Amino acid sequence: MTTTVPETLATTRTGSPGRRRGVRRPAGLPWILPALLFSAGLLYYCIGYTGYISTLDWDGAAPIQQQVGAENFVRMVQDPVFWGALRNTAIFFVVTFSVQVALGIVFASLLHSRLWFKTFYKVLIFIPVVLATATAAPVFRQIYAPDGALNELLGAVGLAGLQQTWLANGAFALAIVITVQIWHSTGVVFVLYYAAIGQIEPEVVEAARIDGAGDLRILVSIVWPGVRGTTIAIAILSAIGSLKTFDVPFLITSGGPSYATEFLGTMIYRVSVAFSDVGYGAALSVVLLLLALVAAIIINVGGRRGER
Amino acid sequence: MRFSTVRKTTLSAVAGVVLASTVLTACGGSPENSDGGSATAGTVNWWSWTPDNDLAAREIAAFNEQYPDIEVIYKKVPSDNYAAVLKPALASDDGPDVFTVNASGSYSAEAFAAYSYDLTPDVEELLGTDWESKVYQGGVDAFTVDDRLVAAQWAKVGAGIMWINKDVFDQYGLTPPTTMDEWVQVCETFRSAGLGCFREGMAGSSGFIVDTVHSIADSVETGAFQAAVTGEAEWTAPSIVEALGLLRELSENGVLDEGSVGIQQYPDVNNAFLTGQVPMVQMGTWYQQYATVNSLTAALDGAGVPADTPKITIVPIPFPDVAGSGNPSTMFADPDAGQAVNVKSKNRNAAVTFALWLGHTQEGQQVVANNMDSFPTLNGVTPAFDEIEFVDPDVQLPELQKVSEQLGQASDARSLGISAELNQAIIDAAQAMVNSDTSPEDAAAAIQKVADAR
Amino acid sequence: MFETRRLRSRIGLQLLLSVLVLPFVFPLIAMVRGSLAGAGWGNYATVLSLPLLPGFFVNSALLSAAVIAIVLVCTLTAAFGFSKLHVPGKEIFFWMLLACLTLPGVVLLAPLFATITRIGAYNTLWAVILPVAALQVPFTVLLARNFVDGIPDALMESARVDGANVVRTFWHILLPLTRPIMAAVVVLVFINSWNEFLLPLLFLQTPDQQTVTLVPQFFVGMYNNDQTKVLAAAVLTGLPVVIAYVCLQRYFERGLAAGALK
Repeated sequence: MTTTVPETLATTRTGSPGRRRGVRRPAGLPWILPALLFSAGLLYYCIGYTGYISTLDWDGAAPIQQQVGAENFVRMVQDPVFWGALRNTAIFFVVTFSVQVALGIVFASLLHSRLWFKTFYKVLIFIPVVLATATAAPVFRQIYAPDGALNELLGAVGLAGLQQTWLANGAFALAIVITVQIWHSTGVVFVLYYAAIGQIEPEVVEAARIDGAGDLRILVSIVWPGVRGTTIAIAILSAIGSLKTFDVPFLITSGGPSYATEFLGTMIYRVSVAFSDVGYGAALSVVLLLLALVAAIIINVGGRRGER
Repeated sequence: MRFSTVRKTTLSAVAGVVLASTVLTACGGSPENSDGGSATAGTVNWWSWTPDNDLAAREIAAFNEQYPDIEVIYKKVPSDNYAAVLKPALASDDGPDVFTVNASGSYSAEAFAAYSYDLTPDVEELLGTDWESKVYQGGVDAFTVDDRLVAAQWAKVGAGIMWINKDVFDQYGLTPPTTMDEWVQVCETFRSAGLGCFREGMAGSSGFIVDTVHSIADSVETGAFQAAVTGEAEWTAPSIVEALGLLRELSENGVLDEGSVGIQQYPDVNNAFLTGQVPMVQMGTWYQQYATVNSLTAALDGAGVPADTPKITIVPIPFPDVAGSGNPSTMFADPDAGQAVNVKSKNRNAAVTFALWLGHTQEGQQVVANNMDSFPTLNGVTPAFDEIEFVDPDVQLPELQKVSEQLGQASDARSLGISAELNQAIIDAAQAMVNSDTSPEDAAAAIQKVADAR
Repeated sequence: MFETRRLRSRIGLQLLLSVLVLPFVFPLIAMVRGSLAGAGWGNYATVLSLPLLPGFFVNSALLSAAVIAIVLVCTLTAAFGFSKLHVPGKEIFFWMLLACLTLPGVVLLAPLFATITRIGAYNTLWAVILPVAALQVPFTVLLARNFVDGIPDALMESARVDGANVVRTFWHILLPLTRPIMAAVVVLVFINSWNEFLLPLLFLQTPDQQTVTLVPQFFVGMYNNDQTKVLAAAVLTGLPVVIAYVCLQRYFERGLAAGALK
C-alpha cells in the first residue's frame, strides 16, 4: 500500500509538522510517558545520585558520609592520570572513527556491487559485534602475548625482527586497544552505511559512469557526500562511545602499562571499586557526562553548519 | 521546574533510607532475628575468593564428617570482582552467611566490619579464654576491629621466596643463584638454550611485584620495606631508592624476562612456569601445592597442554642477595584469610560453627594444612606429609619443611598496612623502573606522595 | 556501486573484500582453536556438563525476552508520540532522552547498589532487566522515531477521517508498518541483553538466577585460570546470538535501511 507523498507533506525530523498543517493533532504526552518515566526517570535518578555523591568523601558502605564540596573536582584537575585518560580518549576517538568510517564505507560500497557470496561477508563483518567483549578479550590477550599468535605469524613469514612484547609497550598497548575496538564495532558502522548507500539513486551513479568516472571518483564525489548524515550520527555515537570505553581496556590491558591505556571508564572503576573512593569516582562520572554532552552538541552543530 | 523538586525530594528520601538502613545494620549487636537458628543444622552459604573449588570440596567434606547436618554451599568469586560483588550482597538481606575477608586491601576485615558478627564469645567457648596464645597472633590483630573479632583466621601465607624448576636446573648442571652475578650467569645459560629465566607479571591489579620489591629492599637493608610501610622511614630513603634501581638492573642485565609489564602473573607466568618454559618465578608459600601431583595435574589441565606433559619438580629457594650486602633472605607473612559471619544471617549459629571449625579446630586446620595452598594458623598443626603424593618427595620434602619453619619465624608483614592506593603506587613505580627511564628517586617520590595523601 | 562489468575488476574487488575481511575472521578462528587446546572437545564436554547450565540459558533467555518486551513497548509508543502526535515542548523531552545515551554503565553502579537492595530486587532478574532496558531505550527511540517520521502523515489522517481513535490508529495502522524497525530493535536489544555481564555479576548471586555470561567465571580459579574452558564457555555463550543474527539479518538490514539515520 504505497502512496506517493508530495514533497510538502513529507515530515522532517525537526519542527512540528502538525503546526504547519494547521490541524490539531491528538495529544502525544501519554504516549511518550512510558519511555520518559521509565528510561529517563531511572537514568536521571542515577545521574542525580551520582552528582550528589561527587561532593562526598565516602567509601560506598559506611554510614558516615563526609561532605567535601568541590574537593573531588579539584583533585581531578591535578591528577595526571585523569589528563592521560582524556588524551587516550581523544586519540582513541580520532583513530577509531577514521578507520571505522573508511572501512565501513568501503565495505558498504563493495557489498553494493555485484560480487559473489555477499551475505557471507556481511555476516562475517558483523559477528564481532555480536560477541561480548568479555568473550573475545582472553583471545586477544593470547594473540598479543610474547609467545602468542601474532609473534608466531611474524616469525613464520620471516619478519622475526618485528616481534615485540606488544602489551608491555605503552604505545602498542593503546594501538591494540584501538584495534580490538575497531574489530568489534566496524560491523555496526558498516550496517549503517550499507543502509545509507542503499538510498543513493542508481541513476546518479550510472550518469557518473557514463561520464567516465572510476571507482575512486565515485566513492569520493558521490558516496561520501551522499552519506553525510550517517557520518555525523556515527561521529556523535563514536565520540560518546570513546568516552564510555571500558570493556576493552579493562579486560585486555587493565588500563596499563603505567596507565598508557587508561580511560575514564577504567579509572572510575578502579577508583570506585578497588580504592572504595566512591566520591572521586562519581566526580569523574559527572565530568564524563558533561564531556559527552558537549561533544555531541559540537559535532551536531558543526555538522549542520557544514551542510549549508 | 516541578521536575527538579520531585527529583530532589526523592533523592533525599532515598539517601536517607540508605543511610538509615546502613546505620541500623552497623549496629551489629542484636538484630530482630537474634535467634540465629541451630548450631548444628542448617544451610550455610560460604563465599570466598579462595580456595579453589576442589580444595573447598575437601574442606567441606571433612567438616561434614563432624557436622553432617550443616550443608555448606561454597561460592567462589574471582578476587578481582570480590569486593564489588560482596558490597550489594551484604547490604541486602540475601547475602552469604559466611564470607571470607582478607587482612588488608579492598575486601579487608575492616572494610566489612560493619556487617560482621563478633566471634569473641564463641571462640572463647571453643578454645578457652587463653585462645589468643593458641593461634597466629598476626591473624588475631588483623581481624580484630574495635575490640570485636570480626573474622576467624584460618590460613596464613608467606612470600619472599622463589620457586625453581629443579629438573631444568639439573639438566644444565646449574645450582640456584645466591648473588646478582650468579643470577646473571644462570640466566645466560638458560637463554642460550631458548628458555626464559626469571619471569614476573606486572599487568593487571595483582601486586606480586610488590613482593619482589620487598625482597630486593630487604636484601639492601633488612626491614627497610617494613619501615617504609609503617611510616617509620620514608619511601625516598636510600635503601628503597637503591632497591628500585636494582629492579631496573635485573631487567637490563637479562635476569628478568622482557615484557613483564604486559603479562599477568596468573595465568600467563603461572602457566609458563608449570609447563616448563620458564625456570624461575617468585611466588609465595601458596605455590607449594604444585609440588603435589594432584594440584599440578589440575594446573596443567587448565594450561591447555596435552595430558602427557611431564610434571616438573618445583623447589623453593631463598631470594638471591642481589644487593650483595650479605643480608639474609627474608620471608614476610600475612594472615591470608578469615571467615566472617554475616550479622544478618538467618543461620547464624550454624555459620559460626563452620567459621570457627576451619581455623580453630584440629580437624579443620589439618585439612587446610594438607591442601598445601595455605599454612595453618592453629599452633601445633603441620601437614601430614606422608599422606600427600608429591612429584619428587626426596628432593622436595626437606625444602618444604625448611619453608614451613621459616614461615613460623617470619616477623615482617606481607601486605598488612599497605592500602589499595599504596599497593598501586608501588606497582606503578616498579612498572616505571622496567618500562621507562624515570629515575629511581622520582619513582620513590611518587610512592611517598601517595603514602602522604592518605 | 563499483565497476563489476569486466571480470578482471570483479575478481580484483572480490579479492580486496576478502583481504579486508580477514582480520575480522582471524580472532574468531583463534578463539575456536584456543577452546580446543589441551583436552580438545573435552573442554566443551566439561562446560556442557555443568549441572545448572540449562538453567543459565533459560535465565538469559528470560532476561532478553523481558528486556525486549519492555523496550519495544516504550520505543514504539514514544516513537509514535514524538513523530505523529502533538506534545508541548517535544524536542526538549526528546533531547532529555537522548542525553541518556551519554551514560556509561559503570556510572550506574553506585546508585544501583543502594536502590536495588532497598526495593528488594537483589538476586532477582529484575535487578538486571530494568537497568538494561532503561539503557537501551534512548537509542532505540532515536532509530524508531526516524523510521516513523518516514511514514506518511496522510495515512494517519485518513484513518482519523474514517473515525478511528488514536489507539486504533496506533494498533492497526502504525504497528504493521513498523515491522522492519521492530526487527532491528529486537536484534540490537537481544545482543545487548544476552551479553550483559557486569550487572548479573553484581546482582545475581545464586545459580538459579544467574545468566549464561557468568559461566566462564566458574573456570577462573584462584591460581588456575583454565583458559581452554573459559574459551569453550565463551564460544557456547556466543552461539545463540550468532545464530539469531544470521537468521534475522535480512530483517535487521531492512529495518535499518528504512529507518536509516539521515
